[in-house]
Amino acid sequence: MIAIAHFVAISLYIGAAALAATPFARPVGAPVRGVIALLAGGVLMHALALVLFARAVGAVPLTGLGPALSFAGFVLAATLLTVELLAQEVSLTLVAGPLAALPTTFANVIGLTPGAEPPGVRGIWLFAHIALSFVGIAAFATAAAAGTMYLIERRELKSRRFGAIFRFFPPLATLDRVNHVAAIAGWLGLTLGVVLAGAYSIAYREMNLPQLMWGTGAWVAVSGIAIGRVIGGWQARRAAVYSSITFIAILVLYVAIRVAGPAAGKFL
Amino acid sequence: MAVVVAGISHNGAALAVREKIAYRGPELLSTLGALRADAGTREAVLLSTCNRTEFYVVEGDTDAVPAIWNALSARLGEEASGYGYVRRDRDAIAHLFRVASGLDSMVLGEAQIIGQVRDAWAACRPESGAILNRLFQSSLLVAGRVRSETAIGRGAASVSSAALQLARQIFGSLAGRRAMVLGAGEMAELALECLVNEGVRAAIVANRTYERAQELARRHGALAMHYDECWASLHEVDVLLCSTAAPRPVVTLDRVKPAVAGRRDRPLCILDIAVPRDVEPNVASIDNVFLYDLDDLRAVVTNNVERRRDELPTAEELIASEVERFWQWLAGLAAVPVLTRFRGEMDRVRERELATALRQLDHLSESDRAVVERLSRSLMNKFLHGPTVRLRAAAANGRGLGIVDAVRYLFGLDAAANSESPSDEDHHHDLI
Repeated sequence: MIAIAHFVAISLYIGAAALAATPFARPVGAPVRGVIALLAGGVLMHALALVLFARAVGAVPLTGLGPALSFAGFVLAATLLTVELLAQEVSLTLVAGPLAALPTTFANVIGLTPGAEPPGVRGIWLFAHIALSFVGIAAFATAAAAGTMYLIERRELKSRRFGAIFRFFPPLATLDRVNHVAAIAGWLGLTLGVVLAGAYSIAYREMNLPQLMWGTGAWVAVSGIAIGRVIGGWQARRAAVYSSITFIAILVLYVAIRVAGPAAGKFL
Repeated sequence: MAVVVAGISHNGAALAVREKIAYRGPELLSTLGALRADAGTREAVLLSTCNRTEFYVVEGDTDAVPAIWNALSARLGEEASGYGYVRRDRDAIAHLFRVASGLDSMVLGEAQIIGQVRDAWAACRPESGAILNRLFQSSLLVAGRVRSETAIGRGAASVSSAALQLARQIFGSLAGRRAMVLGAGEMAELALECLVNEGVRAAIVANRTYERAQELARRHGALAMHYDECWASLHEVDVLLCSTAAPRPVVTLDRVKPAVAGRRDRPLCILDIAVPRDVEPNVASIDNVFLYDLDDLRAVVTNNVERRRDELPTAEELIASEVERFWQWLAGLAAVPVLTRFRGEMDRVRERELATALRQLDHLSESDRAVVERLSRSLMNKFLHGPTVRLRAAAANGRGLGIVDAVRYLFGLDAAANSESPSDEDHHHDLI
């Protein structure tokens, strides 16, 4: 049942992305309600899958690579749904829909095996840290998705091509605003996540070097965008380039740590 | 009960003809009243815009078209029928649906026509009736469906609206944005009007006559500036619209670069609608500058119009299904009074024959006479039940009018109606 719910959620995420891409096949706007309904369906099924998992194993789906990846996909999709409901703009689904489906699929391929869970107060610290970090990463991914779309559309506009992207992507200003808000939200989430992780490490004298490296890297990257935007007055192309490149760099760093780090199995 | 449209549009007549036959609001009802008196029309609506003058009528017993051409010819001062067209029944319904949806407009898919159709219908309500009310109401619904379910109305279809589309694609809403207009000619004024309507705060710069800029600025609530002062303000501007008559570019790389540097990362949209161009082409190479000239704007328009044309088959399909739906309703409407008349006629025959029979059977008691009368009624009902049900069914599935006509002919109902029943019109008005 958990696998079926996951499968339905992944299908709905991909379906939402495909529906959001209809303007490329036919010159009509993407059906906003349809995309949001599919996405909402996906989020609900994903939540159901996670609840069923938690009931089956008696643990929250935050420890262990598979459950944590599935939770990350869920948080990303829920963030995307919130942004799209507020903005009534669904083109972000083109990038963020597959981005939510990917970790969820990967989680199911490697198996939803729960990790060892620290008891009592330690457990609460850890869950808060993981949940906030996921929210931060999901917001960071949203900023990167908006930034990538900004760069694609900007390129079309600069080169005076008035095709499907010109007609159906949201205005550059909208993408820039999404990038701004998501970067700030990402910074807040990751900062709290890192602070909790630091406090946890000091309190319980536990340190996971790959996790520390990756978490610090992600925090530095998202802080760079947030500071650049708020203090440096970055807008438009500069913020879009930075958020897209740093997000890709963080993904690459993650893969490198997973491949090379012997203790990496203890985190995502 | 034929629905007919007769009129003249941009498809067959030049502006010189169309402007002579255009009707103003106060003339509509008197014109339709005269048509009713002349041709006995049951219902009529007159749609008169700058691109078309069309009479939509539900005919009475006589053909209304000659009277319509007479009215138009008198207005035009020559024979009008050579410029126009006549459509009947399904074709008339399809025509109105196409008109309301913008498929018959000069600019394919334009939206203004929906309001014009609505206004024409509202203005002619005293002369309209059940059929045309339903027809015009349906046409507005069909137009709404065509616009929402196809891309027929998407994208700009004129140079000035293409300029707005481009600026909106960069800035989203233009409300509160700052614009500078270089030039104070006709094109500049048109573009300025569009920008001000979008909520843009505008400044006008005339490169030759400051007074002209002042005049234009006063008319549109903008600010006039001297040519030499404008470059210092360029960094505050989001949209720069250039439409001067200068023989060589006045917006150069050297002038734009410092302004863009002062804007940090904010984009600057430059719309150059002047011929020859006002902006050096290499200005487009500056980061965050989006430069478009007249060719680009025309390319946007051409693309949009092509996309609109691509949507025509989908729109036509939708209209065809709605025409069928309306036709079924109309055919059903025609069947009801015929059925009533048919049964009435049969009942009269029954009563007559019964009376004759009862005169010959005067030995029958009252109760026996009642039995005979019940028998006659029962026989008639049984005979008529099948044809009645089938006629209703035929009307419901759209084959009604032909069968209704056949019934009228076979049972001589028109002759019967002419001699005895004036209430055909009353029937269908009552039944709607």
